Amino acid sequence: MSSADEYSDDEIDYYDEDDEGMLVDDDESASEMELDNFSEGASKKKIYEVDYESLSQAEVEKQMKSDVDSITSIFGVAEDVAPLLLRHFDWNKEKLIEKYMDNAATVSVAAGIAPPEKAPRRPAASGGRLHSSSQSSKESLIGPRRSSRRTASAATKSSKSKVLERVTPQVHNESFVCPICFDDTQTEFLSLVCDHKFCKSCWAAYIESKVKTEAESWIACMAEDCDVVAPDNFVKQVLTGDQRTWERFHELLVRHYVSHRPDLKYCPYPSCTYTVSCSITRASLATQVPIVTCGNSTTHKFCFGCNIDSDHRPVICAVAKMWLQKCHDDSETANWIKSNTKECSKCQSTIEKNGGCNHMTCKKCKYEFCWVCMGPWSEHGTSWYNCNRYDEKASKDARDAQSRSRASLERYLHYYNRWANHEQSKKLSVELYAKTEKKMEEMQMTSELSWIEVQFMKKAVDEVIKCRTTLMWTYGMAYYLESGNEKELYEDNQRDLERAVEDLSELIESPLDPEVIKTLRQKVTDRTVYVTKRNEIVLEDTARGFLEGRWAWNVPVAGLD
Amino acid sequence: MDARLRRVNKEIADCKNDQSSNIDIDLVDNSPFHLVGSFDGPEGTPYEGGHFQVDIVIPESYPFQPVKMKFITKIYHPNVSSASGAICLDILKDAWSPVLTLKSTLISLQSLLCSPEPRDPQDAEVAKHYMTSKSSFEETARYWTEIYAGGPGKTGKARASAPKDEVAIAGLDPAHVQQFQSLGFEKGKVIDVLRRLNYRGANVANINDDRVVEELLKP
Repeated sequence: MSSADEYSDDEIDYYDEDDEGMLVDDDESASEMELDNFSEGASKKKIYEVDYESLSQAEVEKQMKSDVDSITSIFGVAEDVAPLLLRHFDWNKEKLIEKYMDNAATVSVAAGIAPPEKAPRRPAASGGRLHSSSQSSKESLIGPRRSSRRTASAATKSSKSKVLERVTPQVHNESFVCPICFDDTQTEFLSLVCDHKFCKSCWAAYIESKVKTEAESWIACMAEDCDVVAPDNFVKQVLTGDQRTWERFHELLVRHYVSHRPDLKYCPYPSCTYTVSCSITRASLATQVPIVTCGNSTTHKFCFGCNIDSDHRPVICAVAKMWLQKCHDDSETANWIKSNTKECSKCQSTIEKNGGCNHMTCKKCKYEFCWVCMGPWSEHGTSWYNCNRYDEKASKDARDAQSRSRASLERYLHYYNRWANHEQSKKLSVELYAKTEKKMEEMQMTSELSWIEVQFMKKAVDEVIKCRTTLMWTYGMAYYLESGNEKELYEDNQRDLERAVEDLSELIESPLDPEVIKTLRQKVTDRTVYVTKRNEIVLEDTARGFLEGRWAWNVPVAGLD
Repeated sequence: MDARLRRVNKEIADCKNDQSSNIDIDLVDNSPFHLVGSFDGPEGTPYEGGHFQVDIVIPESYPFQPVKMKFITKIYHPNVSSASGAICLDILKDAWSPVLTLKSTLISLQSLLCSPEPRDPQDAEVAKHYMTSKSSFEETARYWTEIYAGGPGKTGKARASAPKDEVAIAGLDPAHVQQFQSLGFEKGKVIDVLRRLNYRGANVANINDDRVVEELLKP
């Protein structure tokens, strides 16, 4: 994370935009608008919430522009050059300033704003007229002052009639065949500062291919081994008439900017163009879960700290990731096989015993053996169907190993089943909403309750779904919690929430009785409030536990000691 | 006319007219977008005397996206997969420029044969061979040129000397050959089968020993 003063300019911007009114979740807005961690904001904000701000694409562009403007004014370069410099340095202003001040010429070549100097020709052409030494002519060729560069390029190209112009690309109209399409009917030719001419339609096809198939915003000259990059205005000029590619190009630029700023993250929901700004540090991810919502829609909820597209509170990113990994891995399949099957000791086929006696005959190799001791059946002699070798040490060890493996499997399944159960219920929420909708209509018909008065049902469903998400993740966390008093308290809270949620859930889904609608309404409202409280307790207590370092894990967790 | 078609037709015509470069481009199934290019192995390399064929597919967005090329002729080279013919060359990927042509790309391939880049390999096993013993690598490359690309082989000057280790020439690991020899198979047969199955380097893991024995047992 960068130092605080680095982004101080931007933060001032954030405050301004707050005042203009942002789209933030109604009841949370008060705490989220408060950006100061150390003022009274901390007391208003819930402990499990983080400060963040949602930015539209236009707002991000404004930030980009302010970065560009500052570079433009510091270096005195053209407006078109600064974005390329910044993009080359991945929007790291400090590094750019340092390197550029150190050696402007090298940086300009590397950033693709100037062609590399051709030693034998250029200094001779410009050096004599403008400067006494070739070194200073090199400086003047690329910057820092735009005017001086223009003179320099004019001098270098003095043999040609046209003056090289950076901002508006050179348009050539003389008879010329484009070396790419060989189409002699083309009349409009363009080139970058490197003076490699190509027809406009080839440029357009090239840029479209780069932008659309490669999602690349770094458009290098089409000539071989030429690293000069097309500035935005050039791209815009070429793409006149192809608005969609231009918009996509623009979006790619913004994405590039956002992806290189540690305090910004693009909303991962499909075709959403919002960005969230959050200044959480990597280290604090061990104690905080930065769940944010973008300003486009309240359903666009995601974690700023990791790539899980679900509200995984109260579990921190590292543990949540571990749990998901475990659930997705088929290591548990192997575990099942281990505890439910044995291998034929002759041909190694995997065998599941699903009934019958201990006298096994391998289907594949016809080997006859005892399921209990795995020894050949012939050695059992007359003690048929009753293995007397059971207590021998080898078979005892095998039995112990098997029961250990079974116990760990059962422990995992305990947590996984509950996790999966809540996940499944959550997935059915669409249906539940539809059902509730119907019920609400029914209520309005059968009782004198108005539309606004039956909204309690929808609110209850909202709350149930929210709490199921919390419950889901609490099981993921519990799996990794070391047993002890802390875990017991944690599970008490979890149980209380679960019971409350199941109660409420049952209540919403129970058939409607017109007689008791009023009492039902009271009950549902009360329980919704109770569930909300319980959920808050779970989230708050877990969050506090993280801050206090109260949780002990039964496995090493990445990012924690 | 479609710009891509015009461009490809011109490129093919240019290649036909140009006799000096010794690069041929032929159509496959009459489509100008699926071609076969061929050139001779450069002189002074283990590939000398061989004639190499390259499969060329012109993508939809050519020339703004690079052509797809791979060797049809098997070749022993650090930057070419000895199994699939896939080529590791920058201009076929990110260093592609629309001004490059089929001819210039094939010439680049030809020069890749002159100057292998074992530090950026396509076939790690071949690259390792190149790095550890260049002379043994060249031996194998020459052998491959002879059997796959119609090279001069034994008649050539290098092979005129004393017989060389056939295992190394086939690009195999002596330990692998030994392993199957110890099962009672003839050395020549083991080498032949392992070479055919491409039982080398990282590929070994994908080939079951049973499969090798099965092959070996075939008359």
